[in-house]
Amino acid sequence: MLNRKQILTRIFLPFLLVMLSGSLTVTAQSLRLYTPYPEITVPPGETIDYSIDLINNGASIATAEVTVDGIPETWSYTLRSGGWSARRISVLPGEKKTLNLKVELPYDIDKGSYTFRVLARNHAVLPITIEVSEKGTVKTEFTADQGNMQGHATSNFNYKTKLENQTGEKQLYALTSHAPRGWTVVFKPNYQQASSVEIEPGQSKDISVEIKPPYNVKAGKYTIPVMATTGSSSARLELEADISGSYGVELTTPDGRLSEKITAGRRRNLELMVRNSGSTDLNSVRMTAVKPRGWEVTFTPDTIPFIAAGESTQIRAEVKAYGKAIPGDYVINLTAQTPEINADASFRMSVRTPLLWGWLGILIILSAIGTVYWLFRKYGRR
Amino acid sequence: MKVTAIQHKYMTRAFWEERLRNIIPELRDQLISYRRSGAAPGVFRSMVLKEVGDHFRSWRVIILMVIILLTCIGSLYTALTAISDTGSAGNSDETFFFLHLFTLSDGSLPPFFVFIGFLGPLLGISLGFDAVNSEQNRGTLSRLLAQPIPRDYVINAKFVAALLVIALLFFVLSFTVIGAGLLTLGIPPTPSEFMRILSFMLLSIVYVALWLNLSVYFSVRFRQPATSALAGIAVWLFFTVFYPLIANLLIKAAAPSPYASGRSVYLFERFRFLLMQVMPNELYSQATSTLLMPSVRSLGPLTMEQMEGAIPGPLPLGQSLLLVWPQLTGLISLTIFCFILSYLAFMRREIRSR
Repeated sequence: MLNRKQILTRIFLPFLLVMLSGSLTVTAQSLRLYTPYPEITVPPGETIDYSIDLINNGASIATAEVTVDGIPETWSYTLRSGGWSARRISVLPGEKKTLNLKVELPYDIDKGSYTFRVLARNHAVLPITIEVSEKGTVKTEFTADQGNMQGHATSNFNYKTKLENQTGEKQLYALTSHAPRGWTVVFKPNYQQASSVEIEPGQSKDISVEIKPPYNVKAGKYTIPVMATTGSSSARLELEADISGSYGVELTTPDGRLSEKITAGRRRNLELMVRNSGSTDLNSVRMTAVKPRGWEVTFTPDTIPFIAAGESTQIRAEVKAYGKAIPGDYVINLTAQTPEINADASFRMSVRTPLLWGWLGILIILSAIGTVYWLFRKYGRR
Repeated sequence: MKVTAIQHKYMTRAFWEERLRNIIPELRDQLISYRRSGAAPGVFRSMVLKEVGDHFRSWRVIILMVIILLTCIGSLYTALTAISDTGSAGNSDETFFFLHLFTLSDGSLPPFFVFIGFLGPLLGISLGFDAVNSEQNRGTLSRLLAQPIPRDYVINAKFVAALLVIALLFFVLSFTVIGAGLLTLGIPPTPSEFMRILSFMLLSIVYVALWLNLSVYFSVRFRQPATSALAGIAVWLFFTVFYPLIANLLIKAAAPSPYASGRSVYLFERFRFLLMQVMPNELYSQATSTLLMPSVRSLGPLTMEQMEGAIPGPLPLGQSLLLVWPQLTGLISLTIFCFILSYLAFMRREIRSR
């Protein structure tokens, strides 16, 4: 709040002066001030070059002290003429002198209309209005061309961002992120991984941000805030990663062994494990088998209704070997499939022949030996 | 209900255990009574040792052994050169490197197991063809039978002695091959390879014992040693040369047309397979090749259904044995049958002194 004295000096005094000088120009109309752009609209931080003509309409040489009045304190300006910073300027009759007024707007200003005056004391007043088009930005700006990206859980998200130092000094920014657990965020200011970056005042730097989601991330939208901070200012940018679900299914056994012994013509149970390795839930996983002729494979259940992402289900497969299968290895291919994805597992079934004929052979040999024994008993002791 | 069922089961189990426990002492008693029945202890043993000594002193056996040893060393040499030539071919037999010593050849000489299959019958025939008739012709048999020993000791001792000689020869040969393999290859055989070599040896002994028994039978049957030797060689020649010829004639006559149905082709192949199975040498070669080549999975004709989905791979020893079990059974029972023949012929024979 301005106190009473400030109100007096800032508002009433200039006003009084305007009234006063207005009355003075009426008395001595020989000097005039002219600029082609009395009112312009500029963004904050802009530097404006005015050229102001001081015109002498009178018949004698006129001298005036030229000052700028009413300009906000935070703005800076220079008034030069003919290469010098001149305070008093004389103009020949019927001629004009050009002055250069350079006004630098700070970044940190509010939107609105600002008016100041150029005075040729006792002669003329030139009011100039600067319309600031928007509220001045913060001192550091962190922006991204494309802040939203979509990809698979396994893909890398590469964002092109721009860090702009709008403060008046060189800044060393620390680059940090508040990513959820498991996410990896890497900043690469100059194509190299870094944790801080130095930017000259008014300069900007392209920083590519690489974001890698965790391997088991669920589908959905994730917001990853990244920050550039210094001791005095900070900028925050929210990057969005839209992870589309990936489908993955694996078919193994609980102990990972994919071979089993089986006797020809017999049945054998296999414990199978179907694992959802993707990031979306799977519905109705169907189990099928490619098997040699004469073999049978039945699954219980033959359709798994639901497997949540990352979870696994155990099922049982009953394999019946062909009765006339020869001993040795056979391959059966088991498949777990959904419309989106499938997984194969090749089982090596080592077929063994049943012992029935072996026992018959042993029986024949034993009977032959028994005959020999009987002969020994019968004839041997004569 | 439940209690009585368990009791019932327990009772039967105890009964069977009792039977099992008694069966061994019973057998032992029978054996002891059998051994003590005839003669003084140690007589059979000394008879066998005498026969073995006679074999080792006879030129015939020495010549035969030298022939077999030389041929086996020759085939071992060819196997070794073939192994170093082929290096490591990426087949499934690669894990059974040691068995190559018995099966591989560079073509100049047949491999080891073929040699054994060829020379084994000759060895058996030569060891047995004059077992009984020469003693009878010399007059020593009647003198021997005059001693207080059971009559079957004579033929049993002859059989056991010849079997011992054969077993000794084969063990020496196989361990020579294993030793040479160790020296040159530098890798020891795996346990399963060793067991395969051992079963190959036992099978070879059984096979030679078959021919031995046959020739002993002929030596009982015919009075002249030359006749019995010829009879043995005739049987051997019949099975190695003439029977395949006859079988081929039969097979050609029975061959189905190329447009025959799959079923009849299968039956024809089955018929051909069975026709070949009659030959003991065929049984032996099938059994040995299966034992020495673990990748052999089937011997007879196969249908497409059996082949579908099958992938090459070695069989475990038990499965290989089961695969050739019919052949093994045939060989063993044929050997025992020949022994029974010669035993019966000898025991029923009237032996008079000259």
